[in-house]
Amino acid sequence: MQEKKQKQILLIGNPNVGKSTMFNVLCNRKQKTGNYAGVTVASLSGKYIYKHEEVEVIDLPGSYSIYPTSEDEAIFSRYLIQEQENYSGVVYIADAINMRRSLLLFQQIQDLGIPAIMVVNQIDEAEKRGIKVNISKLQEILNIPVFETNAKNNIGIETVREAVFNNDFKISENNSFEIPLEQKALVYKISSNTSEKNLYKIWTLLAADTYLGKIENIHEIITQEDSKCSVPKRLQIQETVRRYQNIDKITSEITEKKPQLKELLTEKLDKVLVHKVWGYVVFLLILLLIFQSVFFLAEYPMTWIEDFFTWLSEFSSEHLPKGPINSLVSSGIIPGIGGIMVFAPQIGILLYFLYLLEDSGYMARVVFLMDRMLRPFGLNGKSIVPLVSGTACAIPAIMSTRNIENVKERLITILVTPFMTCSARLPIYSIIIGLIIPDDNFYGIKYRAIALMIMYLIGFLMALFSSFILKSFIKTKIKSFLVMDLPTYKMPLFGYDFKLVLGKVWEFISGAGKVIFTVSIILWALSYFGPPQHKDEILATESSLDHSYLGRIGRTMEPAIAPLGYDWKMGIGILTSFAAREVFVGTLSTLYSLDDEAPEGKLIEKMRLDVKPNGEKVFSFATGVSILLFYAFAMQCISTIAVVYRETRSLKWTMLQTVSMTFLAYFSALIIYQILK
Amino acid sequence: MQTKHTDKLCCFPKNKIGKILGYDNENLLMPTKIIEMGLLPETTFRVLYQAPFNGPLYIEYGSDKTRIALREAEARFIKVEVSE
Repeated sequence: MQEKKQKQILLIGNPNVGKSTMFNVLCNRKQKTGNYAGVTVASLSGKYIYKHEEVEVIDLPGSYSIYPTSEDEAIFSRYLIQEQENYSGVVYIADAINMRRSLLLFQQIQDLGIPAIMVVNQIDEAEKRGIKVNISKLQEILNIPVFETNAKNNIGIETVREAVFNNDFKISENNSFEIPLEQKALVYKISSNTSEKNLYKIWTLLAADTYLGKIENIHEIITQEDSKCSVPKRLQIQETVRRYQNIDKITSEITEKKPQLKELLTEKLDKVLVHKVWGYVVFLLILLLIFQSVFFLAEYPMTWIEDFFTWLSEFSSEHLPKGPINSLVSSGIIPGIGGIMVFAPQIGILLYFLYLLEDSGYMARVVFLMDRMLRPFGLNGKSIVPLVSGTACAIPAIMSTRNIENVKERLITILVTPFMTCSARLPIYSIIIGLIIPDDNFYGIKYRAIALMIMYLIGFLMALFSSFILKSFIKTKIKSFLVMDLPTYKMPLFGYDFKLVLGKVWEFISGAGKVIFTVSIILWALSYFGPPQHKDEILATESSLDHSYLGRIGRTMEPAIAPLGYDWKMGIGILTSFAAREVFVGTLSTLYSLDDEAPEGKLIEKMRLDVKPNGEKVFSFATGVSILLFYAFAMQCISTIAVVYRETRSLKWTMLQTVSMTFLAYFSALIIYQILK
Repeated sequence: MQTKHTDKLCCFPKNKIGKILGYDNENLLMPTKIIEMGLLPETTFRVLYQAPFNGPLYIEYGSDKTRIALREAEARFIKVEVSE
């Protein structure tokens, strides 16, 4: 069979130039979901086929220059320089509204000898504003193919594909940046002593303060005398200032502007959205709207799903042959999976809102508003994005800390983000709140909604409090700064975001589903079989749950959890949910279906009616609050632990975080139970 | 005749058009990102908003009217004057 040709191209550009949109319309095939979308700091890869050629597109994080100041920019620069043999060329996305800034990074890429084509995006937006970009003139000056697109409406995408197919990528022959006289000798010296012939590449290695690429024996070549005349930061400033002189000439040739630029929607919106008072009011209202929708919009689909699984369980119980398999399927697997499926609508709604906010450019305004408030806690305004996305899931949230430049602020943000109430906690919260808080109104606001708000607040306050503590423990010399682009508002891609959400929700369900599936089989086996109760009785009997192996395990751990107000069922729930919180509800659901003494009906009803031997309710108010606090603070998520380790590259911090969160969870649950009991 | 008023960007009045003169950066403490974003000498700008309690500044600059957020600490590195 003929081997399929594959070509790799990179999609690069400044942040907020519509790169993600471009990536989305370009790759109509298979987008890798292994990376966490929504927060575009991770590099994504996707594919498309054009004229029988398969093209792999790598969407790198946006950057303003080749010299990185944050982790995501470092990912970009390293990939660009170190993987040069692996890609055919770069598609550079320039922003028609901001050609000046777009050209800075572009020139650097050209000077590095990287083959490129340019795509000017958002031409229509620019024209609305009164800016006209002369594409043919630009093509002439830059001496490479330039295309104009409007990725949002799919205009010009075919031409870009055609250019990629024809390998129209071009390396510029003349450098736009001349190495300054002062450093010329040094650059030539390095060049003649190594195999590197691109002088600008050598210059970038001198000018970058972080590791970008490698030249063998560079340290033997550079003398102390040499390093004196090549202070990285000074070189960067020198280069940038010179490049802008040249760029200003180019932009005045290629762009025509009306003397009075038309006011953009962005300017009108920002009068309110970043206002001293209204800005905060709007932000709060948006948060409220999200939480309200999570609860009330999700109510209907949740009931449908729940009813469906109850029906399915009854159906299989009636129609499958009686015996162990019947009980495994209808009281083990189906209720276990159903217990988690029920929460898909809530998670989906939450994620969808967060994606829309991120997409629209509003998040940058929130950073602006929150920077001053978060600074006393050792956080950066940019920490608000991980903190807010942490309400969906800590994993993408922790990855989104990559654009926080300051190492200390980034570490603190990573360490405290898991305190934010993630969607995996929702199943637990809603069921427990449903059990212990009455379904009443307070002037139209449901008590249960207030209770949930309080849980979110507790998570947020604990995140702030621990940042405050961590601030004095973590030392750094690097000064914190905030220099952040405020992009123009864009209409979010409703359809695309919806697709992303469906993908994420499916990932959540199938991921949790696999665990719950396995856990329910194990739980079922342990509960179906029990130790012989009488001498010589070795037959597997459908012993009552309390006497099964599972009951035994639960009883063994009871001394540790009884002071927290938990019975053995909850103990098993906590044990099985160590890998993922949401398993707790699945486990309880399985356990209650297995217990033939438990009343029939929905899980919450069974839990409500469950009583201790002395007649007291198992889920009393004190026990409920204790569970809520336990899950508010406990780490209980293997994936988060893994991602923290990957992002911090420190076993010490990862361990410290997991251990201290578990301790905090245990003791606060203990204390609150003892007080309320 | 009125004397030309030089100042730092951090204390520049709101909604007035100003011009960047240069940087106060002998010790190279200024984030290079400021320059990379295009806040270069001769660039005209306007401070539109500031977040409460001396929070970040919201600045519009250049002929493209780009918008950027800066803290007062960063703005202190930038020398400016009132543009007529």
